[in-house]
Amino acid sequence: MVDEEKRKDILERLKKGVVEFDEDMVREAAQEALDVGMDALDAIMNGLVAGMEEVGELFDKGEYFVPEVLMCADALYAGLDILKPHVKKEDIKVSGQVVIGVVEGDVHDIGKNLVKMMFEVAGFEVIDLGKDVPLEKFVEESLNTKADIVALSAMMTTTMLGMPKVIEMIREKNPNAKILIGGAPVSKESAEKWGADGWAPDATNAVKEAINMVKGLKKEVMGEE
Amino acid sequence: MASKHKIIFQPEGKRGEFVEGTTILDAARDVGVDIEAICGGKLTCGKCQVIIEQGMENLSPVTDDEKRLLDRRKAGKNYRLACVTKFYGDVVVYVPEESRGGEQIILKEGVELSVAINPAVKKYYLELPKPHLKDDLGDFERVLAALREDYGIGDVEIDYEVLRKMPDVLRDSDWKVTVSIWNDKEIIDIQPGYKAEESYGLAVDIGTTTVVGYLTDLRTGKVMAVDSMMNPQVTYGEDVMSRITYAMQYEDGLEKLNQKIVDGLNKILENVCREAGISTEEVCEMTVVGNTGMHHIFLKINPQHIAIAPYVPALHCSHDVKARDLGLNITKGGYVHVLPIEAGWVGADNVAVLIATEPYNQEEMCLVIDIGTNGEIVLGNREKLVSCSAAAGPALEGAHIKHGMRAATGAIEKIRIDPETLEPEYKTIGNAPPRGICGSGIIDAAAELYRAGIVKKNGRFNLDLDSPRVREVDGTPEYVIAWADETSIGHDIVMTQKDIREIQLAKGAMCAGAHILMKELDVEHVDRVIVAGAFGNYIDKISALIIGLVPDVPVERIESVGNAAGVGARIALISREKREEANRIARNVEHIKLAVHPSFEKEFSMAMYFPHMDRKRYPSHEEVLKMRGAE
Repeated sequence: MVDEEKRKDILERLKKGVVEFDEDMVREAAQEALDVGMDALDAIMNGLVAGMEEVGELFDKGEYFVPEVLMCADALYAGLDILKPHVKKEDIKVSGQVVIGVVEGDVHDIGKNLVKMMFEVAGFEVIDLGKDVPLEKFVEESLNTKADIVALSAMMTTTMLGMPKVIEMIREKNPNAKILIGGAPVSKESAEKWGADGWAPDATNAVKEAINMVKGLKKEVMGEE
Repeated sequence: MASKHKIIFQPEGKRGEFVEGTTILDAARDVGVDIEAICGGKLTCGKCQVIIEQGMENLSPVTDDEKRLLDRRKAGKNYRLACVTKFYGDVVVYVPEESRGGEQIILKEGVELSVAINPAVKKYYLELPKPHLKDDLGDFERVLAALREDYGIGDVEIDYEVLRKMPDVLRDSDWKVTVSIWNDKEIIDIQPGYKAEESYGLAVDIGTTTVVGYLTDLRTGKVMAVDSMMNPQVTYGEDVMSRITYAMQYEDGLEKLNQKIVDGLNKILENVCREAGISTEEVCEMTVVGNTGMHHIFLKINPQHIAIAPYVPALHCSHDVKARDLGLNITKGGYVHVLPIEAGWVGADNVAVLIATEPYNQEEMCLVIDIGTNGEIVLGNREKLVSCSAAAGPALEGAHIKHGMRAATGAIEKIRIDPETLEPEYKTIGNAPPRGICGSGIIDAAAELYRAGIVKKNGRFNLDLDSPRVREVDGTPEYVIAWADETSIGHDIVMTQKDIREIQLAKGAMCAGAHILMKELDVEHVDRVIVAGAFGNYIDKISALIIGLVPDVPVERIESVGNAAGVGARIALISREKREEANRIARNVEHIKLAVHPSFEKEFSMAMYFPHMDRKRYPSHEEVLKMRGAE
């Protein structure tokens, strides 16, 4: 076993590296975690993810804005790349599956990528369909994967018009899926009108939504904490 | 065999030998001297006057008709009309400036450019032999014969509506008419009498927000009247996207949007013609520029596909369409020339900016930016041009900013903040009490808040400052630019944290676009920044550099060229060569799709900092801050 002091030190550096978007610090700490035989999932959850939660709080307070969050995400991924292959299979408690993508005709994916990351750190298995995704593909994938959540993103009013079509198609074939829509032109009214389960108006709010989701979901994942 | 005589044309010094009795005009054409002769030797225009320097005695005598025209043109001594004056001995002829063809116009509104005048529509005066029983050639063929004989113009077609009115016009005008020929191909008008010197066109720039029309004299390139209006489509959405969405959602959406702009253009046409004292039917051609959305809606083409990936326009090349097919009230047979499109979101307005600024003829690395809701950016020089469009959003135009407003009376247009006292000084349009902040004021405010240390380089407010102007309201930091009692709106005018975030997103998109283009061309810096768009005239260049709206460049190398798109539309109206150039350029600019560019996310987030997260890219930043301090 790693002694508690060392463990705390590594977790602290992972967290700090994410918050201060210092990729090198994260990589070093992640490597050290493996070298000293620390549990990879512990390093991810109590180091990287804890850091990302702090990022979320800073974002909520207005201290951080999109650029910082994007860079924190890069730092987080740098750590995940090192640690993830070492997580023991039996430790992976998947809290659910998410199918995510930018709807047909739209190629703006920064918001989608942020939301995707938040799902990932929350322990979701994310099936990223990418951008400019044909509407039928969302339905197909949600059925293939038994996804709990289907998340749709659109940054243009023109492509947003594809959302109600997807929602209708999914409702018909997979009535249990939760549908989350997001993007600049999306409004609470349109979400309600089209029968989506949740919405976020832009990349920044999508992060908030996703962060809130993470908070709620992480409790389930980590059970004991 | 008749003897030959020498003729020399000054100032060019071109010369030739001709049989006696040749007219000066024929000799000039033969040796390649361009003398303007609009009436084709009918003794109606009197434009072809030349000065005889030597050999006055070797010329045919002055007739009464010639004398009348010379007097009317107030010609001086030794002046003759080249079209009717024959020479019977050696002569030296001087062709004065005003009689030379191939005139140039120098444009000097922001853009300085010299353009050779060669409009698509040219007018020709004809005096036709009256038909009689032994000469019963058809009217159209009679016109064709005269065109061939007098002007050497081969067969042309005729517009159906013009054909319908031709028999009456010919007979009512005693067979003296002026025909308008479009692109050497088609007769688009026939007018009674001598109208060869009255040739007008309308150049139009359809902006998402503003529409401008320039009534232009096609023979001189001079603007006779200008009129502008709010784009009447705004009732269907402020930005292009929402208008395209409207067209997609309602069956008659496109029809309605199109009708709005056509009605608006007819109104502009009416206004400029009234001001110039001509009738709208005397306008014989129109040129139109606009972004891709405005372009498609104007042509009543479904705009849906340009708004959905892969963003394919209906066509790239320029298009000519009969004005009457669109319901525009210029001359019945007249055409509208719509300039070409570069790529999905880089439209005819950008092509117009390019033919007006010609970065493709420059040695220097030029960055041309048009700041708007959708900012278009072009980078390059004579070697290569690359372009992109950056979704900057409307923040820099005052939308989505708490106290943002359009540039109107009472708008704060200039702000300076003392870094010591943190007290502001501002100037409003019309020196009226402030009502809000317009675009230039918004950029100034961001630059000054950052320079004074009130806003940090990452855009966050610094709340550890001792000033009543820096405060927090409901958890949101803000800076008070004007206290309620100074304003005409009765409450404080502020710049909030959210406003700064909006500016960061807008400037980040523009700045990231520019830097990605620089990467594409593998250049570290640009030599010149050309800011197009009416808005560009008002932006403070130092403020633009401080916040990093443009890449690092010496401040004197930033130029504002005003509404270059409108200038481009006018150039296309008077120059067929420039139309060809536009088509060539539109297809040669390499378009970079920012949203799918692998470095966009990274570049965008770095570019959101003031001036940039990678400070190495702004080596002159400290110096620029000092320059502002020393103002």
